[in-house]
Amino acid sequence: MEQEKLTFEEALGRLEKIVSEIETGKVPLEQSIERYAEGVTLIKQCRSILETAEKKIQLLAKDQGMGLEVSGELDPLREE
Amino acid sequence: MGSAGLPLFDPLQPPSRRGRRRSASNIKGKTKGGSSARTDVKPKPVAQAASPPPLKQEAPPTLTVSALIARVKCALADAFPRRVAVVGEISNFKLHSSGHMYFRLKDADAAIDAAMFRQFASRVRFTPADGLEVVAEGRVDVYDPRGQLQFYVESMTPRGAGALELAFRQLREKLQREGLFDPAVKKPLARFPRAVGVITSPTGAAVRDICRTLQRRWPAARVYLMPVLVQGEGAAESVAEGIAMLDTHAGRFGIDTIIVARGGGSLEDLWAFNEEIVARAIFAAVTPIVTGVGHETDVTIADLAADVRAATPTAAAELAVPDATEVLRHLASLHARLHRSVAEGLASAAADLRGMLRSAIFRDPAVGLRIRHQRLDELSHRLRADLGQILSQARRRLDPAGGKLAALAPARLAEVARGRLDRLAARLAWALGARSKRAGDVLAVWRGRLLAVHPAQRLAMVSQRLNAAGRQLEAMSYRGVLRRGFSVTRKADGAILRSRGDVTEDDWITTELADGIIHSRLSSPPGGDKSDHK
Repeated sequence: MEQEKLTFEEALGRLEKIVSEIETGKVPLEQSIERYAEGVTLIKQCRSILETAEKKIQLLAKDQGMGLEVSGELDPLREE
Repeated sequence: MGSAGLPLFDPLQPPSRRGRRRSASNIKGKTKGGSSARTDVKPKPVAQAASPPPLKQEAPPTLTVSALIARVKCALADAFPRRVAVVGEISNFKLHSSGHMYFRLKDADAAIDAAMFRQFASRVRFTPADGLEVVAEGRVDVYDPRGQLQFYVESMTPRGAGALELAFRQLREKLQREGLFDPAVKKPLARFPRAVGVITSPTGAAVRDICRTLQRRWPAARVYLMPVLVQGEGAAESVAEGIAMLDTHAGRFGIDTIIVARGGGSLEDLWAFNEEIVARAIFAAVTPIVTGVGHETDVTIADLAADVRAATPTAAAELAVPDATEVLRHLASLHARLHRSVAEGLASAAADLRGMLRSAIFRDPAVGLRIRHQRLDELSHRLRADLGQILSQARRRLDPAGGKLAALAPARLAEVARGRLDRLAARLAWALGARSKRAGDVLAVWRGRLLAVHPAQRLAMVSQRLNAAGRQLEAMSYRGVLRRGFSVTRKADGAILRSRGDVTEDDWITTELADGIIHSRLSSPPGGDKSDHK
């Protein structure tokens, strides 16, 4: 699986699906052990996404054309 | 004078102090009576004492402040001898706990402080509020302690809404009709936004509150700030453009949710968010938008058009992202459930295996055979039981037949014969009376003998003797009939002649009558007579 590209929402959704499938006992034992391993990986991914903290705010500004660009960073909490 | 009875007060002073001042001024008013000129009586000596006698006629009269106010009041009373009605918008409205109302009446260019005392205020049917245009009736006077012009309102009626209010209502109704506020077109917010776009002023409390809340709850989300003008000339256009720009480029920055916000302020301050252009920009955006404008009580047109409306900028940030603490708890519970369910699956599989290994078939293969043997035994036992039942049924059916068989046994026959003899003897005794007594005795003898011999011999003897006895009995029994004139004809061998065909020519026959026997021989009959006696 291309789990590296999963967003938090996708990872969590997949994880919830795995858990409920195993819980209902629909999955054969051998498969459930595989799913367990996948679930543990997903949990790690979710945790690592949660632990990334974006400290700065990206300040946007109109560029030369009609687009937007990041014109700088802002730390409004430090400003105070 | 109109001024004399008017209550005077300072809106900024507590009522008690105001009351005192009022009574003071009233006392003053009473001293001066109906004439304002007399008010000057008291201060005058002071003035006269302080200043030299009026030498120059040109010099203006020097008045005390009280005298001045008194004159102004007098002039006002002359100018407005009766009550006046004034149209204006209410602002700075305050309802004091005493029940008095203090506010300003204003229009585009002027304002006047107004007061409405409880006895009048209690009669007002609506709830006065800032921005409300009213027609107020009352008197104009000066509040002495401050020398301030004041409008003492005695009655008040609303006169439609204030201009801004009216504009708000008109726009709300128009956009409502167009379906901009339709709950059906509202988009759900992203559950876990990768990035959040914030449209607000880069300075001020709102952006700080939003960023603090976003980082506290969901630090994983990047935050993009689209700085806009939120107040004053061009603010609405700036906000609308910011929304359109950010929405257009949301995909590139991974922006899943947009927050449009502004801190608290007056209705005029928040006005940009009540403008049509902003509402339309929000409605047109593809990215879900949550608004947080002003304080809890402020609802702007932008709020109504938003996918989700939050009461404040902070609340908007709370709605935009989940709480990481809760999500982590959810993850932990998922982890536990995952672990538990797999562990349970393994445990139950292991238990199944142990159960199978423990079962008899694995411990002792012969057990299967034994079980089959046992079954066989059971079956054969049942079969035997069934057979027994069949046999006993058959036996029960045979028993009556067996009884009959027993009855046929020789000993039984003898007994039957004896029974018959007994019965015959009884009949004999009855039929013959004493004359047959001898025969009866003979029979009794025979009976005695019969009883003594072996049943088998007895049977034969009985058979013979019975016949003889029977014949004897018969012979004796018909003699009564003979006495009545009948006769018995026998053949030579003694057999009774019953049919014409029993005898042929030349046969000897005997005819027994009551008193003797006649022997005759048959000869060719002279006629067709049945019995011929020669």
